[in-house]
Amino acid sequence: MPVERSASSGPNNDNVGDVLVVGGGISGIQAALDLGEAGFRVYLVDKSPAIGGKMSQLDKTFPTNDCSMCIESPKFIECSRHPNVDILTNTEVVRVEGKAGEFRVSLNKKPRYVLEDRCTGCTTCFEYCPVQVPDPYNENLSLSKAVHIHFSQAVPLITYIDPETCLYLQDEKCNICVGVCKTNAIDLHQKPEKLEIEVGAVVLSPGYETFDPAVRGDYGYGKMKNVVTSLEFERILSATGPYAGEIRRPSDGRHPERIAWIQCVGSRQVIPGGNTYCSSVCCAYTQKQVILTKDHYAQMRATVFHNDIRAFGKDFERYYQRAENLPGVRFIRSYVSIGRESPENKNVTIRYATDGAGVMEEEFDLVVLSVGLSPPKDAVDLAGKFGIELNSHGFCKTNPLNPIATSRPGIFVSGAFQGPLDIPESVVSASAADALCGQLLAYQRGKLGREREYPPERDVSNEEPKVGVFVCHCGANIGRVVNVPSVVEYASTLDNVVHAQESLFACSTDNARQIADTIRDKGLNRVVIAACTPRTHEPLFRDTVREGGINQYFFDLANIREHCSWVHSREKEAATAKAKDIVRMSVARTALLQPLQEIELPINKAVLIIGGGVAGMTSALNMAEQGFQVYLVEKDHDLGGMARRIHYTLEGVDVQAYLSDIIRKVYRHPSIHVATDAAIEEVSGYVGNFTTRVRAERRVKEIRHGAVIVATGAEEHKPAEYLYGEDDRVLTLLELEGQITKNDDVVMKAKTLVMIQCVGCRTAERNYCSRVCCSQAIKNALKLRQASPDVEIYIVFRDMRTYGFKEDYYREAASKGIRFIRYAPDDKPVVEVAEEGGRNLLRVTVTDPILGRKLALDTDLVALAAAVVPSATNHKVAKLFKVPLNPDGFFQEAHVKLRPVDFAAEGIFLCGTAHYPKHISETISQAYGAAARAINVLSKNSVTATGAICDVDENACIACGACISACAYDAIDFFDSARGKKAKVNPVLCKGDGLCNAKCPTGAIYLNHYTDEEIFRQIDAA
Amino acid sequence: METLAPIKEISDLIKDNGGASFQFCYQCGICDVVCPWNRVRQFSMRKIVRQASFGLTEIEQDDIWRCTTCGTCPQRCPRGVNQIDLGVSLRRIATEYGVFPDSVTPIVTVSDSLRAEGNPFDMKREKRADWAEGLPVKTFTEGMEILYFPGCYLSYDPRLKKVAAATARILDKAGVTFGILGSKENCCGESIRKTGNEQLFKHLAKENIKTFIDHGVKKILVSSPHCYHTFKNEYPEFNVHFEIIHISEFLRELIAAGRLAPTRRYEKKITYHDPCYLGRHNGIFDAPRDVLKQMTSAEPTEMQDSRTNSLCCGGGGGRIWMDTPKNERFSGLRLQQALDIGADVLVTACPYCLTNFTDSSLGLEDGRAIEIKDITEIVQEVI
Repeated sequence: MPVERSASSGPNNDNVGDVLVVGGGISGIQAALDLGEAGFRVYLVDKSPAIGGKMSQLDKTFPTNDCSMCIESPKFIECSRHPNVDILTNTEVVRVEGKAGEFRVSLNKKPRYVLEDRCTGCTTCFEYCPVQVPDPYNENLSLSKAVHIHFSQAVPLITYIDPETCLYLQDEKCNICVGVCKTNAIDLHQKPEKLEIEVGAVVLSPGYETFDPAVRGDYGYGKMKNVVTSLEFERILSATGPYAGEIRRPSDGRHPERIAWIQCVGSRQVIPGGNTYCSSVCCAYTQKQVILTKDHYAQMRATVFHNDIRAFGKDFERYYQRAENLPGVRFIRSYVSIGRESPENKNVTIRYATDGAGVMEEEFDLVVLSVGLSPPKDAVDLAGKFGIELNSHGFCKTNPLNPIATSRPGIFVSGAFQGPLDIPESVVSASAADALCGQLLAYQRGKLGREREYPPERDVSNEEPKVGVFVCHCGANIGRVVNVPSVVEYASTLDNVVHAQESLFACSTDNARQIADTIRDKGLNRVVIAACTPRTHEPLFRDTVREGGINQYFFDLANIREHCSWVHSREKEAATAKAKDIVRMSVARTALLQPLQEIELPINKAVLIIGGGVAGMTSALNMAEQGFQVYLVEKDHDLGGMARRIHYTLEGVDVQAYLSDIIRKVYRHPSIHVATDAAIEEVSGYVGNFTTRVRAERRVKEIRHGAVIVATGAEEHKPAEYLYGEDDRVLTLLELEGQITKNDDVVMKAKTLVMIQCVGCRTAERNYCSRVCCSQAIKNALKLRQASPDVEIYIVFRDMRTYGFKEDYYREAASKGIRFIRYAPDDKPVVEVAEEGGRNLLRVTVTDPILGRKLALDTDLVALAAAVVPSATNHKVAKLFKVPLNPDGFFQEAHVKLRPVDFAAEGIFLCGTAHYPKHISETISQAYGAAARAINVLSKNSVTATGAICDVDENACIACGACISACAYDAIDFFDSARGKKAKVNPVLCKGDGLCNAKCPTGAIYLNHYTDEEIFRQIDAA
Repeated sequence: METLAPIKEISDLIKDNGGASFQFCYQCGICDVVCPWNRVRQFSMRKIVRQASFGLTEIEQDDIWRCTTCGTCPQRCPRGVNQIDLGVSLRRIATEYGVFPDSVTPIVTVSDSLRAEGNPFDMKREKRADWAEGLPVKTFTEGMEILYFPGCYLSYDPRLKKVAAATARILDKAGVTFGILGSKENCCGESIRKTGNEQLFKHLAKENIKTFIDHGVKKILVSSPHCYHTFKNEYPEFNVHFEIIHISEFLRELIAAGRLAPTRRYEKKITYHDPCYLGRHNGIFDAPRDVLKQMTSAEPTEMQDSRTNSLCCGGGGGRIWMDTPKNERFSGLRLQQALDIGADVLVTACPYCLTNFTDSSLGLEDGRAIEIKDITEIVQEVI
């Protein structure tokens, strides 16, 4: 029986917020954090017992192979510590009323049967519970208990009891857990709670379900033990999985040597029970699993059975090659069927087709089904409650010109509920949702927000160093190799160490809190955490130390994982000895650490947007609507960028109408200042305080702004093959589109058209995929077919990369008689001029692998899918703003997965095709995302610079300038002091890499937190 | 390597003859993978589809006649290509031009016989009802419960006549009022249509339909899944809607209504083979199993490749009339599967399957033996 309660779990007592985020997966979390940072109060609701979603079940993420939990769990803690975010887990939405700006939402908090404010996550109840149940986190491959924590790094780190399997809740037998709980946190009579909240906007991010092959019994799944889904395999790969990271197969626990991956399970099919669209991520995740499995087990032989490899994303093509080039890895283009399961050893045979050598049958030890992505289980229910429409595939219906908006104002969508999306796109869409909520609720910003309050910082300057050492097991990652208890024991014998302990996962909320408590209780003034890498966890632990009441720079992270257990996994004794060395060195160093302060600097609340295409204009309008001044500079005479040459999209959008509308809005908006025919001459400054000199129409202007958005777009490659430039009848796809729109006679009267894909990319010179061309070819083919029903159209391709919902258009094109011929990169089509029946035409000769013959296609026109190449001005912009380019010449973001619109340099953001080729919808999404991130910076009152930066001892400085030339960030400059020129470091620009230190002949310049003394002390202790 | 240019007229001709769904193909290879032919030799349906899309079909090749129309590949095709329709369309073109490879020439004789005598065996039409002599079988009159349509094999083939007899005895025992139309019946036409002879099919069908209407037929009981398939799914093209029931379904109804019950149990170990046209094409998997379960002492075991995965006997698509070398017969593989699970009797419900399995059972190596029986023969023994 639901009980009315007035307060939620946080300190908020009035149930009024700004935004409700439904679904706590990576995109929900990112949306909550962005909104929180932007000054909005957020309720983050998830129906499961912890936030994290599917990403928390992944081992590593493509294409960087980062540990998924390592990059996600710091965000869990950020959310739980964020004063503006209230996390409500085990909670569902019951009813929604109202409209944009004023929604009233009823929530039902399902009983956990555990009191949240008493549970410490000690897991004693778990140890004593007699009921074993399959563990849903491990995809039912291992056993857990009726009472358990969802996974070790869960936030909130609180157990929950499964009402279906708990003996007491089913039959009133047994309440052992109640008795053993030291804090009396278990309440087996807990009732659901009803919560009524008011918010101004809603972000729906309920994610997706994986396709379930058990329903149709696809590929023997459910009958054959050694046929598993990719998510099950992901758990098998994980160190926290059912076999502790050993790759074992379910039937007998042996290491499988021959593994097959079957692609497109449940996707790209019209067979009843399947989905017609492409699930976008499976090609890449399979390559990831292949690479990781080879890592675990070098003798493994992998075979991937597919029908097109969709490596369309940034860095995906190289990732594909990386997998393919591993020894013992084959990619075979054929869908397959399961032959039989051998009764003796449960091996599974697979039958596959070849080009010309018949059907082969091979035996495998393990088969992994690369299952597709289906809409979340409760999609229909959610749609009903929120009054939004779903599309024909059961995902959220969105507008191609605004993929974040749903059919109901005030309700936005982010993440895979839009359609199959990978993590970077989910994160982008989350930031984009923030931008749109921000636009709706701009007047509300900061009104309900709360500031983070830290305990006062203790002055330890008169104290002897008192070091606390915390050695982390990181589950099995460290604990399986390094003997952690012996390291702890050793640490306690070191000088200055007054406390030493071990943790299972130092980063989990409970442990982190315990560290803070221990600092206070034991009066520690130095902390060494021996665990993983500062790259992912330094901010989290510094924050924890701050919570403990001492300066955050009194902390050192000793890496005994990447530097020890992960590289010495077969030498346990030596690894343990090394871990002790590392800890000793770290402890020695910490004795010399000094407190450092971060610096607050004022912020100029204007933004400079470089590039007036779709991306630039979208960001501009969104930021202007939220009250910020925008300077939009465009190098061409007109706004619009590449979109000026695009007239229609696959989804039927009238691009030119959209473009004139948005251009008009941009020019009309009083907060947007446009400069066309502009060139940037000089840039100086740093986040919050940039100064940029722009020359436009012979006038020079100095713009002061706090942030920058780079939206410089991309260009079309001019092919140097296939007779392009030599014969008028050979066009690029954009030129073709232009001709079709103009109703050009030559094009409209053509009897035959041949399109050739991958022109100028996927080559050694340009080793990436231009992403948009497969869809563009089909788009134009369909358009031409509509106007000329009899025209013969051939598309000559390498892989058809119509990912996501675009797959439907591929089938539509086929149904209209458009023919597709695959070519191999070493047997490219040949285009020549020919005479046939008195006509002078073009002839395209291409080998068809199925027929085993060359086909001669006589045609009136040839259209080339010319590559999308980086803008010629990228190098100049990169140099001016000191931002990096990737090997292909596109801009390089801070982190491919979790910071896809940020640059490493603060205050500068990226969106559109300057980042990587993409479709208009994707550009719009990313542009909103960049706007949101820029606003997060500009909406604050100051910008904080880290304390671990360089400084100059003026007495020793001889003004030689070596440091200035060494600094890649232009952070050092001369200034005139009373004793002449001296070097001076700009604290905001300094990144703390210390290169200048190495160059300085006198040792005048030094790096705080890594001074020479500190480093020598560390070396001496080695 | 030879260079060819696509021939639009041919791909258009194929589309006009009903094969247009080849357009959907995205060359995934599933059709090749699941096709039973690839268990005995190399055969590529994918290549046939590909050739058709460019109008490069080699009309004189054997391959376009190999398909038994078992239905496995269209069922699995992710793009919705109908390979059977394509095959029929190619065969229509070949038939029109009279192009038949050697192994297929028997079709010519068969067609003549169908046209002249209404059966493929070149036997006299008047003798069609001879099988019913001495059995409780009447001529159909309006008002009877059902018309029993045994089909050509059950009417003329010596082995299959025993199945007709068993069926008649069961119906009589169950007190069903039924009759046959004997020499007035034509072959249902299903298989000859699949060989591309659309004209002959229409002729046979129209005559049958006229006969049925003239005699006031409403419900038709068939023994052959092929008759079932065409009467149920294809005859409605002529705007008629007779109620069609297969003997396995009818038996289940009779048992459920208490009109039929076993007096003892069938002791031997049996396994049931799903005929393509009963199972995969028409979704009837459970009725025969429900019937057999009630007739046998031990529950029948399932072979590998059962139900929707059933391995074709090789008789459909007109191949019952064509030559297949012994080592290329699917029925041999199927018998091996039955032997592998230790069955003494292989039970089925289709005259083509029965014929092919019986044929293959004669060629088994020493010491191996298995009986081939129709479902009605099992039932008749125990009621």
